[in-house]
Amino acid sequence: MFKRSTVQTPHIRTFVLMQLATAILTLALSAAPFQEDAYRESRNAMVTQQIRKEGIRSPAVLAAMRAVPRHLFVPESMRSYAYSDRPVPIGYGQTISQPYIVAYMTQAITPQPGFKVLEIGTGSGYQAAILSGIVKAVYTIEIVAPLGQSANERLKQLGYNNVTVRIGDGYHGWKEQAPFDAIVVTAATAYIPPPLLEQLKENGKMILPVGSPFETQWLMLVTKKDGKAITKRLLPVSFVPFTRK
Amino acid sequence: MRVLWSIGLLSAAIIAFQLALMQVLSIVQWYHFAYMVISVALLGFGTAGTVLSIFRKKMLAHLTAWLFWLMMGAGLGMALVTGIAQTPAIRFDAYLLFTDLKQAGLLLLNYLLFFIPFFLGALAIGLLFVAYAERISKLYFANLTGSGMGGILALVGVGILSPQQLTTVMAILPVLAAWLILPRRYLIVLAAIVIIGLKWMFPSPLHLSQYKDLSKTLLLPGAKITREKNSPGGLIQTLTSPALRYAPGLSLNATTTGDVNYAAFVNGDWFGAVLKADTSCILNYTTLALPYVIGPRKEVLVLSAGGGAHIQQARSNGAEKITAVEPNAVMLNILQNDWGPGVRALALEPRTFLSTGTEEFDLITLPIAGSFGGAAGLFALQEQFVLTREAFLEMWIRLRHDGAISVSAWMDYPLRHPLKLLATITEMLYSAGITDPRQHIAAVRSWGTITFAVTRSPLTAKEIAAVRQFCEDMQFDPAILPGLLESERAQYNQLEDTLLFHYINRILSPGGNGFYNDYDFNIRPATDNQPYFQQFIKLSRLPRLAGFLGNRSLPFLELGYLLLIATFVQIILLSFILIIVPLFRKGWKSAALPGILVYFSGIGYMFVEMVLIQRCILYFGTPVYAAAAVITSLLIFSGLGSYVSPYLMQPRKLLIAVLICITGLLLVYAPALTPLLQNTMHLPLLFKAFIVLLLIAPLAFLMGIPFPAGLSYVARTEAAAVPWAWGVNGCLSVISTGLASIIAIELGFSWVMMLAAAAYGLVILPLLSASGRSSFRTGQKKPFSNLQQSHR
Repeated sequence: MFKRSTVQTPHIRTFVLMQLATAILTLALSAAPFQEDAYRESRNAMVTQQIRKEGIRSPAVLAAMRAVPRHLFVPESMRSYAYSDRPVPIGYGQTISQPYIVAYMTQAITPQPGFKVLEIGTGSGYQAAILSGIVKAVYTIEIVAPLGQSANERLKQLGYNNVTVRIGDGYHGWKEQAPFDAIVVTAATAYIPPPLLEQLKENGKMILPVGSPFETQWLMLVTKKDGKAITKRLLPVSFVPFTRK
Repeated sequence: MRVLWSIGLLSAAIIAFQLALMQVLSIVQWYHFAYMVISVALLGFGTAGTVLSIFRKKMLAHLTAWLFWLMMGAGLGMALVTGIAQTPAIRFDAYLLFTDLKQAGLLLLNYLLFFIPFFLGALAIGLLFVAYAERISKLYFANLTGSGMGGILALVGVGILSPQQLTTVMAILPVLAAWLILPRRYLIVLAAIVIIGLKWMFPSPLHLSQYKDLSKTLLLPGAKITREKNSPGGLIQTLTSPALRYAPGLSLNATTTGDVNYAAFVNGDWFGAVLKADTSCILNYTTLALPYVIGPRKEVLVLSAGGGAHIQQARSNGAEKITAVEPNAVMLNILQNDWGPGVRALALEPRTFLSTGTEEFDLITLPIAGSFGGAAGLFALQEQFVLTREAFLEMWIRLRHDGAISVSAWMDYPLRHPLKLLATITEMLYSAGITDPRQHIAAVRSWGTITFAVTRSPLTAKEIAAVRQFCEDMQFDPAILPGLLESERAQYNQLEDTLLFHYINRILSPGGNGFYNDYDFNIRPATDNQPYFQQFIKLSRLPRLAGFLGNRSLPFLELGYLLLIATFVQIILLSFILIIVPLFRKGWKSAALPGILVYFSGIGYMFVEMVLIQRCILYFGTPVYAAAAVITSLLIFSGLGSYVSPYLMQPRKLLIAVLICITGLLLVYAPALTPLLQNTMHLPLLFKAFIVLLLIAPLAFLMGIPFPAGLSYVARTEAAAVPWAWGVNGCLSVISTGLASIIAIELGFSWVMMLAAAAYGLVILPLLSASGRSSFRTGQKKPFSNLQQSHR
């Protein structure tokens, strides 16, 4: 008996190890969809609790916010914060804006399916991805080369085919594709580049934040009418870090 | 004698290391975080006192060994901690502190890390104090003088070496201190070699926070640093990039922006931009052009000239004589070559220039108040004497009949800078005898900026028409103008509501200062007594603001002041632990302890030091050197006071007399210091230095006496309490620095001085109660009667 058992022991061990390995593999394979479900739930909660509740009503914007997997646009180490009501650092001193701000800015330009939109400051590509689902074409420029490259790859990988990324100085806009129906400037700036206004269509809208993403910010909407630009300081999004009341 | 040198060297090393570390942290993070980290690290002094009071006997039993390890440890710590703090595992980013819990842990690690050299160095000094307690006054003299010299060493050092190099040099001083007094010198040489070797093996390049201005600008295409210079005011760097442009609040009618020749940074923070000559007229497309629209400006005074954009604007508007005043002398040397010909450049505090001359100008311009998007209140603690009510009055006096003062601000949210500027201007006009300020103020607003032009003569119809035309051309909106209609105020730059105009109207109306109380932020004009223009927090309104903006928003709105308070609270808590722990150990038995606590608190000394520094900055006009001169002379004269104290010291009565003299002098200084300095500001530098020396020397000399006298008394009567008393002094010195800042912000400098007098007055109490009863429980009837005997 003793002998038998010693002979059998390795088989039992092998069997147990194999079972364990199978279980781990199964768990690993099934974890991804589970996680995706969890992210989808977080995204729905984000839209309901942070965006819709705070007054964003555009169905197109709400649908886009529900559809774009925001967690894939933040660094892996920050994924747990992806659907929180806060901006998330993405490196190079840049942040992905908090969900409400993205939704607010998108709604403010009243995007239409036929729109051609210019974005200055691609960042991780999240704002472009949101616009991608609503408008015809998005042209986005990022001045920080590594950010622009990774955003380009990410957008391609996720199938946002109507987004074109360019790495360069957003100051000059995108003359070849001008004029634009709307321009979204995602990085705060102490001046509004004159070429951008030139590349904005008559009755076109441009939106930009004023202030640093970690501080009190307000958004400004520029509307081009009769060749003149009228600015409107929008309700401060109390964009203040991470909470909004 | 060797012991004195040893203590002097150690003290010098600690102070110089502290200043170098402050510089390092200011470069990689921000000044206020540097202040917070170092304040906590400085509690190493208090902790050393605690440790000594508990382990005094054990440590004295192996004095030589302990001193060796402590001094070597301090040296090693000074050499390595800055490098270790820069490693990826430990590096923290202050900007993310409120968003990422991990950063709080890293901050704690940084506290601990920087604490080490201060703790070890202080423990070595404390051990020497205890070991040679009978010569306490001389040791204290060495301690103070060494600290003073350390300050000078750091000041000279940061001009020559990088802060990292300076920390290495400082690391050698504790080793030298050991060499002087310890046997087995071969071991010390070996330790020095190890320290230098380790520093060489692990160099510590600085990694700036990714959120610093310099880090972000370096990401621009083709960005490169063109100049780098260490200076007492910080690390100065200039940078070029073809994508660098400057046009604050540019009109939407402009067709171009200003190309920047290069931008200058101090400690990684934006300082200013030098525009290329061909685009230097770009500021004429901003609200900053308002004073030139109102009238011609031949003689222009540019205060806090920075990068010189205002100089270039003046020139492009036909100014014939431009005077530029910039307090940062090193920066001025770099920049003025690019300001073009015909500029008289002066390295002075603007207020010093205004107070000392008589020339009149057609225009006096100031830099934009605040920064684009706000600076998160980081400058709340920075004294800005150029933006006080008195400063504006001095500018007003220096205006020609048709002259103007021009000052701009970013349109922030919630509104703070523009309102405070307007309040300051309005109060200044009233105090200059103007009954209707509206006739003297024009203000125009772009999408991002607002510029106020304050004219010496009432605005004429022609000038008003010119302002209206300027607004029309540039798509700006007039905010204040005689005869302005409400409908004109937001044609091009619309607002969500009209609160801005309501606020403006209230400030300009008679009794407008009632608005200060109603508004949620502090927009009461800054004064010379409370020169904190960018301090907008009202502590009483914090709960309401938190409700409105959200708890996590608030820190970023007014970070500077809140950090000061956070630091203060942390230090109080830690100090409490450091002081109370040994009390438990002692079993709360000694009735002398409350007396010791009051006597050795040291609050008065730090308060005096802070007020004198602030006053002398304005008096001399160069902040860094003024601070260095005050600290050094205070420490050296106090050291002298300490040195001679055993010879002067007679029974308790004389010590009481000394304290009464200090209190009396402070009570005289509190009201008299500011007028005295103001009335002699025009004198040549040497005279001014002599006056300051006359003011400081007797006071500092007297202030140097009580501490060693008290310490040597405690040494004789209750030796075990010496380290504790020393620790109390260490802890409370750190507390009092923060406390002085809070009092200065809330009540003003005069109060700080008055409270310093009160603190010294309070110290008399333990002495009075020690006369016959229990406080300094000694078993002697006249506890201070034999002080003389204790000093040989």
